[in-house]
Amino acid sequence: MIGYVVRRVLQMIPVLFGITLVVFVLLRASGDPVSLMLGEEASEAQIAQLREAYGLDRPLYEQYAVYMGDLLTGDFGRSIRYNNQPALEVVLERLPATASLAAMALVYAILISLPAGIIAALYRRRIPDQIASFLSVLGQAMPNFWLGIMLILVFAIWFGWFPVSGREDAYAVVLPGLALGASLAAVLTRLLRSSMIEVLSQDYIRTARAKGIGPTAVMLRHAIRNALLSYLTVIGLEASSLMAGAVVTEQVFAWPGIGLLAIQAINSRDMAVVQTIVILAALIVMLVNLLVDVLYSLIDPRIQHV
Amino acid sequence: MSIRQMLRAGLVAGCAAMALAFAGPAYAQERELVIAQGIDTSGFDPHAHTTAAIEAIHVNIFDYLLMRDGKGELQPALATEWEQVSDTAMRFRLREGVLFHDGTPLTAADVKFSLERPALDESVIQHSFYDTIREVEVVNDHEVIIHTDGPDPILLNRVSRIGSGIVPKAYVDKVGWDGFAQKPIGTGPFRMVEWRRDDRIIMEAFKEHWRGAPAWDRLIHRTIPEDSTRVGELVSGGVDIATNIPSQDIERVKASGIATTAPWPSFRVMTLFVNTKEGSPLADPKVREAVDLAIDNKALIDTVFNGLGTPVRAAVTPGLSAVPMEYHNTFLYDPERAVALLKEAGYGPNELTLKLQGPSGRYPLDVEMLEIISVMLNAVGINTEIEALEWSSYNSRIWEPNKIEHLALIGHANSLQDGYHAVQRARCGLEFSNKTGWCDKRFDEVVGQSAVTVDPEKRSALLAEAFKLLTDSRSIIFLMQLENTIGIGKDVDWRPSPDEQLWMYAAKPKG
Repeated sequence: MIGYVVRRVLQMIPVLFGITLVVFVLLRASGDPVSLMLGEEASEAQIAQLREAYGLDRPLYEQYAVYMGDLLTGDFGRSIRYNNQPALEVVLERLPATASLAAMALVYAILISLPAGIIAALYRRRIPDQIASFLSVLGQAMPNFWLGIMLILVFAIWFGWFPVSGREDAYAVVLPGLALGASLAAVLTRLLRSSMIEVLSQDYIRTARAKGIGPTAVMLRHAIRNALLSYLTVIGLEASSLMAGAVVTEQVFAWPGIGLLAIQAINSRDMAVVQTIVILAALIVMLVNLLVDVLYSLIDPRIQHV
Repeated sequence: MSIRQMLRAGLVAGCAAMALAFAGPAYAQERELVIAQGIDTSGFDPHAHTTAAIEAIHVNIFDYLLMRDGKGELQPALATEWEQVSDTAMRFRLREGVLFHDGTPLTAADVKFSLERPALDESVIQHSFYDTIREVEVVNDHEVIIHTDGPDPILLNRVSRIGSGIVPKAYVDKVGWDGFAQKPIGTGPFRMVEWRRDDRIIMEAFKEHWRGAPAWDRLIHRTIPEDSTRVGELVSGGVDIATNIPSQDIERVKASGIATTAPWPSFRVMTLFVNTKEGSPLADPKVREAVDLAIDNKALIDTVFNGLGTPVRAAVTPGLSAVPMEYHNTFLYDPERAVALLKEAGYGPNELTLKLQGPSGRYPLDVEMLEIISVMLNAVGINTEIEALEWSSYNSRIWEPNKIEHLALIGHANSLQDGYHAVQRARCGLEFSNKTGWCDKRFDEVVGQSAVTVDPEKRSALLAEAFKLLTDSRSIIFLMQLENTIGIGKDVDWRPSPDEQLWMYAAKPKG
């Protein structure tokens, strides 16, 4: 097992290297931070001067070599947009906001999908199942920016129960968490419903019932436990993709996390910050995937990593 | 005292304390003013940005030597008096008793330090607006003479705008500019307490401010990028002032009973840059005139902006000095003449195809503008092709010299608030000329003279000729002055000034 983990960690290095290269080249091919920063009033001479000051006039391979050299010593570069602040610092200070939002979304997704999925499976093709299915289709179909705007309108403006935006209030995470978690809740409900249905038709369930075990015990001890295997895997994988959803949710709720930072950094071609975000995001996704694989083999002894 | 007595006494004391607590706060409640904009500051280095929306925040922290009042007129600020001592030198008498937020007094050395940085350091973003300043001479603690390379008729405009904020030399020497950008110190009515990026800037009243303490204890600047969320905060009382209210939300704000809206005119003028270079169909002045006459500026404003905005024929807006205002609130529209001109130029109906390029999301409703202009051009028999790109791509691909194919939408602000700045870049070899290909000797001559003519009347006459030449050339087709809308809470007494600043010292609580 340890050998497997070490091998997986080593595999991350070329992937990260490839990601830095792709992001570096794409960003530079698609826009120039200096003319964006200087705006419409800038003179051409001034643009050329600042490009030189930031080293943007040098050949791309040279810029990349300098960047990689710095990166290996832990220097992620400096933010052009934020008056030369270290990019890593700018990104890391946003992590808690996004982490709390993603955690809230995950909690919602589990709290909604767990009962909904089980009830839908138990009352298959009856009204509770139809309601759950309808809601989960809706949850997946609604774009989360629209859901966010509707949640703000109803619960913040009409009822005044929650703040409209920002992160000041302790309850502020409730609405953005829901907006972000809704589609995951929908996916998980559908997944749990189908895996429960599959498990409930298995021979060992019939055997358990035939042995005279009560329906609750059959559900808890035999059905849910087995149905949860795929559910847990998907939670693990989707948790890292919550970051992508956070981009839109944070914009709508003015939630000062990584997603909002990413949009602003891309729009102003704040290269060092975008690169740092992408590297960190890639790292998080890879680590979560590794964690899921390891946990999976712990939960399900049939799967062995050697 | 028995235990029972002690309990009773405790109970009475507790009740009394609670009664006091509910009777009302013993001290006055803090007066807090919250403003919301779509963007955050990039930091607090006053020389390191070019964005009016950022200056709108900074203006509460830093002072200039002079400041524009609510009517756009220059008034004394850190300088109390000024006089021209020679063609290239101007003396400024500094206000005495002005304190920085750390309690140190303002001296002439701070002014020299603050103005010479953008003037002399070429790597500073604001440099091109200050490069006429050669030296700031310290006469004594409260007097400086600004020496310019040649006569500079708009020196006063320079020392009253973005990039001329006065900062304490000793503090910057100690923390460096990067440190200053995080924790700034100025002489303004509010001092910065905390900055949470893309979230909020918390400022507190600076009680020792030279104008007197502001009416608010705290000023919070919030960043809310999404328009509908910003409006939501305004109508639910979460913020007191919100900028850039979309026109479709104006009625909603007014109906809320919590806030109202006010026009917030912008210096920004929307234009079409025209490729007049050889090989372009627009090299023919008749075709350019046809395009100009085909566009109904008023209808454009009415359909796209619900009537908010003013048609223009040059980059002139109220509040700018030395601009010919006859080009404001006017436009030419004659579709029949446009068809005739096209025919004269050799183009029958649908024989000419022009590409309309523009950014998407840079200006309010920019893509919609392109679409309506396209329809107007189609109506006179010009085929069109629209290419709208995300701003940073547009900026680097189209907005470079020789990249405009036919017509390109761009908006121009005027942070120097003067006519010279509106036209000077159209001189041969400079930015506008390199993009449009238009180059005119007489134009260069009059603009060049206006730059060194101190006499206001002569200068205005020179600039008026320059404006006429540029407008008549139709190398740039001027469309409209943008007008934003600002939302103001009913509890706040404040009228927006014409210079796009959020100067909150002027805001007072109602009642």
